[in-house]
Amino acid sequence: MRTLVWASLRSYSRRYVAAALAIATGVAFVVVTGLLASSARNGLAAGVEAPYASADSVVAQPGVDVAHRMMAEAGDRATPMAFVQQPVGTDGRQLGEEISVGSVSTVPTLRWQDLDDGRWPRGAGEALVDTEAAADQHVAVGDVLTVGSRPTAVEVRVVGTASSPSTLDGSPLYLTWPDLARFGDQVSVTAVALLGEAPALPEGVEAVPPDRFVNNLLTEINNEVDAVAMMVLLFAGVALFVAVLVIANTFAILFAQRRHDFALLRCLGATPGQIRGSVRVESLLLGVGGSLVGVLGGAGLGLALIAGVRSAFASAPLGAADLSPVWATGAFIAGLLTTMAAAWYPTRQVLRVSPLAALRPDDSASARTTAGRVRVALGIVLVTGGLAVLGWSIAATRTPLMAAGGTVCFLGVLTLGPVLVPPLIAMVGRVAGRALGVPGRIAAANAVRNPRRTAATTAALLVGVTLTAAVLTGLQSTRDSLASEMDTEHPIDLALTGATPLPQDLPDRLESVDGVAEAVAVHGTVGRIADTEVTLLAPEHVDGVVRDALAPAPGTIALPYLLLQDAPDTVTVSVAGRHADLRVTRGAGWGTAALVAPATLADLGGRSAPYAVWVGAEDGADAGSLASDVSAVAGAPTLEVVDGFSRRAWVDLQLDVLAWASVGLLGVGIVIALVGIANTLGLSVLERTRENALLRALGLTRSELRRMLGFEGLLLALVATAMGTVLGIGFAWVGLQVMVEPAVRSAPLSLPWLPLGAALGVAMLAGLLAAVLPARRAARVTPAAGLTLD
Amino acid sequence: MPPSTPTDTPPENRSTAMPAARARGLSKTYGRGETAVHALREVDLEIPAGRFTAVMGASGSGKSTLMHCLAGLDRPTAGEVTVAGTTLTGLDDDRLTRFRRDRLGFVFQAFNLLPMLTAGQNILLPLELAGRRIDPAARSRAAEIAEILGIERRLGHRPAELSGGQQQRVAIARALITEPDLIFADEPTGNLDSGSSAEVLAHLRSTVRELGRTVVMVTHEDSAAAYADHVVLMSDGRVAAGVGV
Ligand SMILES: Nc1ncnc2c1ncn2[C@@H]1O[C@H](COP(=O)(O)OP(=O)(O)OP(=O)(O)O)[C@@H](O)[C@H]1O
Ligand SMILES: [Mg+2]
Repeated sequence: MRTLVWASLRSYSRRYVAAALAIATGVAFVVVTGLLASSARNGLAAGVEAPYASADSVVAQPGVDVAHRMMAEAGDRATPMAFVQQPVGTDGRQLGEEISVGSVSTVPTLRWQDLDDGRWPRGAGEALVDTEAAADQHVAVGDVLTVGSRPTAVEVRVVGTASSPSTLDGSPLYLTWPDLARFGDQVSVTAVALLGEAPALPEGVEAVPPDRFVNNLLTEINNEVDAVAMMVLLFAGVALFVAVLVIANTFAILFAQRRHDFALLRCLGATPGQIRGSVRVESLLLGVGGSLVGVLGGAGLGLALIAGVRSAFASAPLGAADLSPVWATGAFIAGLLTTMAAAWYPTRQVLRVSPLAALRPDDSASARTTAGRVRVALGIVLVTGGLAVLGWSIAATRTPLMAAGGTVCFLGVLTLGPVLVPPLIAMVGRVAGRALGVPGRIAAANAVRNPRRTAATTAALLVGVTLTAAVLTGLQSTRDSLASEMDTEHPIDLALTGATPLPQDLPDRLESVDGVAEAVAVHGTVGRIADTEVTLLAPEHVDGVVRDALAPAPGTIALPYLLLQDAPDTVTVSVAGRHADLRVTRGAGWGTAALVAPATLADLGGRSAPYAVWVGAEDGADAGSLASDVSAVAGAPTLEVVDGFSRRAWVDLQLDVLAWASVGLLGVGIVIALVGIANTLGLSVLERTRENALLRALGLTRSELRRMLGFEGLLLALVATAMGTVLGIGFAWVGLQVMVEPAVRSAPLSLPWLPLGAALGVAMLAGLLAAVLPARRAARVTPAAGLTLD
Repeated sequence: MPPSTPTDTPPENRSTAMPAARARGLSKTYGRGETAVHALREVDLEIPAGRFTAVMGASGSGKSTLMHCLAGLDRPTAGEVTVAGTTLTGLDDDRLTRFRRDRLGFVFQAFNLLPMLTAGQNILLPLELAGRRIDPAARSRAAEIAEILGIERRLGHRPAELSGGQQQRVAIARALITEPDLIFADEPTGNLDSGSSAEVLAHLRSTVRELGRTVVMVTHEDSAAAYADHVVLMSDGRVAAGVGV
């Protein structure tokens, strides 16, 4: 049998290339995931112990209030690990809207940053800047920075630059605790490092030895990285599943083509066991070879990717990558098992060949055996069962149920593939093929000659397209559902509020800024509520710049959630000796001023002047630079700037990142499926060499032959994509009902026409591309050579 | 007869005026160096128009190669082929294909028909490939030919449902449908029993006698050659003799 295996491999190995590619791609996906995970783990873990190196104990997650108390009691031997996100500007220049500000200790032994230039801050009013950030932002020792926006803004002088030994704890800017503490509740304190005896701590908060704290931190990092890696592995699983479909199809086609050989061997006395053995060895070798290439290729690709990301983004938290033997072996075994599993069914089919089959004519290209009754029944049971579970998942809003129901339903559709797909292809082919004449008609006929093969080929693509369409549609609908919530939360794109009246010409000046659609001055005055000085604004004619009604009724006052949190339901507002009792409503998005109706302002009488300008951004304005451009024109440091636009843009960006990351990860499966289409076409072309030669002899030109195969590829891709899009939209609807609907007011389905259309276009183009190589090979054969072929 | 192309001269003129096909110094070599196989060595040959020519010779003597080169299915290594007044050697692949489609008909030993088309569709295929409308006239012509060949009741069947002889007759019908100048047949009876062989050969001969077509048939059976007017004998890539009957 050994001679036979080697001879088969020699003559058929080229036909296994696509299958090997499919398996290698799936395995490489797993390996790259492993490398990135280890690199992220090492990057995040690097230096996490530094801040606690000389501490005697660490209090984890104390909360702001406890941190305040601890610092008050033990400030000379404690330092908090604290962060706050604040806008930072210098010299009228906005450096960023949301800059992470960390803490630097005034206790020499608890300083963990590495000082590069200047000196350490000694207390309030002094700051340390990250060396790289300072270079990027052109900030130097001696500069004065404004941190925060108006009412709570802090001015600090840069006294030194430093770098962080830890990516996790590093920030572009570090303040001492007294300055940081002024941001109150906005500050998050992850730990407090202590020298000497720990002070008395409230219930539930305890001091632990630094090494234990660091260990917990490392475990946390590990768990988080693992969670992300598991998510990505789900996509790798999808890619491997697609690979199973492609490989199984390859084996089925190859075995069908070799039916004669097998039957002849049986005639010559080979036992079924011997044939099974030889075929198993073939699939084993394919699995070993493909997986090995996958592991090596994945390792190379992963290392290259990490190196690329690190050179492009110096601050990316990626450390050294090491591929653990467990991951590598796991990926290898996954590839091997995938191959063996994929070969299992086709191998069984081979063994059904009777010796007599050798004597019958061979037409492996067309098999009229469509799905058996069992298959149809099974498919229908799976689909209806899956739909029932999906219905249940909507009623119970349970995501795991939804995943299970969706999977079962989809498997049912795949099972019904041989019944569903060929008629669809025939239908589309009949309509579209008319334009192409005979080549079109023959292509349509060829595409459905073997229903199982057709179904298996399209199934691979169906998996990726369905998931992609579901993700795109789901996220688009989520975005639309969130839009109205976002309108309430961030009603104004940019709200600039001054402590003193603003220049009259400011709106006009702002309208000339790139990205500003409209700027409207809002008049108001300064009044008091109890002992607090409050800017009162009376918005008028602002419909063009607000996304949600911001018009308080007369007799009411809209206070931001964070202002005068203890205020009663009705407050007395006084302006220059006149008083009004106003009912309080709450809201956010316009800054720290209070909003009243113009009539209320008139009653209060104060001298009304433009205290604020509300700006509406153009669609597609650059969220990163709009606020700083506007602040630069307005003279930022004296103004409070509320940037609703970049918050909205940030949420949009999150959804976009989620969508495109998923699509990118699903792309691997789609690429494997396209390799599968090319493979089926290539193998079919080999089978049909004689037919194609005959057509060429009878007058089919080379370009017509190429067009014919291109159309066949196009048909397969088109029908798979169309089916997948419809299924994906259906699943997206279920997903919305289960995951989004409970959280928002309403979650209607909204279709991302452009991305879906683009996906369809890309799939069709890819179908054409998949036919390029087979078509070129087919067209190269002269009719004479094709006709004399065995 | 329906209107034909300008180069199409009446049958009675064709037989005398110009040979249907002519080869000059035709050579075909497969491979090179040590392992080179000279399938054809400087063959000079004329196929008379309006006659039934058989090409005979031992296995491997170059019969199929000669036919492929004459019919524009393969390119010779050297030499010139002229068929129906057109020199094939200079034509690019598209023009050569169109020439085959419009002027030649083919019958092969096996795998003549496309398995996914019915017999009737197979017969009409060359017209469709040429982009001609399948009008009632074409259909009735096809029916007429099918009736002559005795396959009129099998037109709705796929090739797999036909016997070998019936398949060959469908192939002949297809070769006739475009009213070609020349029909090439490579061992058309190679797979048939003697009864079916005789029928197929008789049909080929009647296309020559009654329709005035030119037929070139490769065969190694003497009984088949007996139907021909003229025999070309191949031996080791050369024409050994041309024998008129
Ligand atoms: N593609 C090829 N590559 C190499 N040699 C070839 C090829 N095709 C044919 N030959 C050789 O060319 C010679 C002529 O072949 P050809 O097929 O014309 O013979 P034939 O007379 O038709 O034989 P048969 O009666 O067996 O069909 C043979 O020696 C054959 O081995
Ligand atoms: Mg031959």
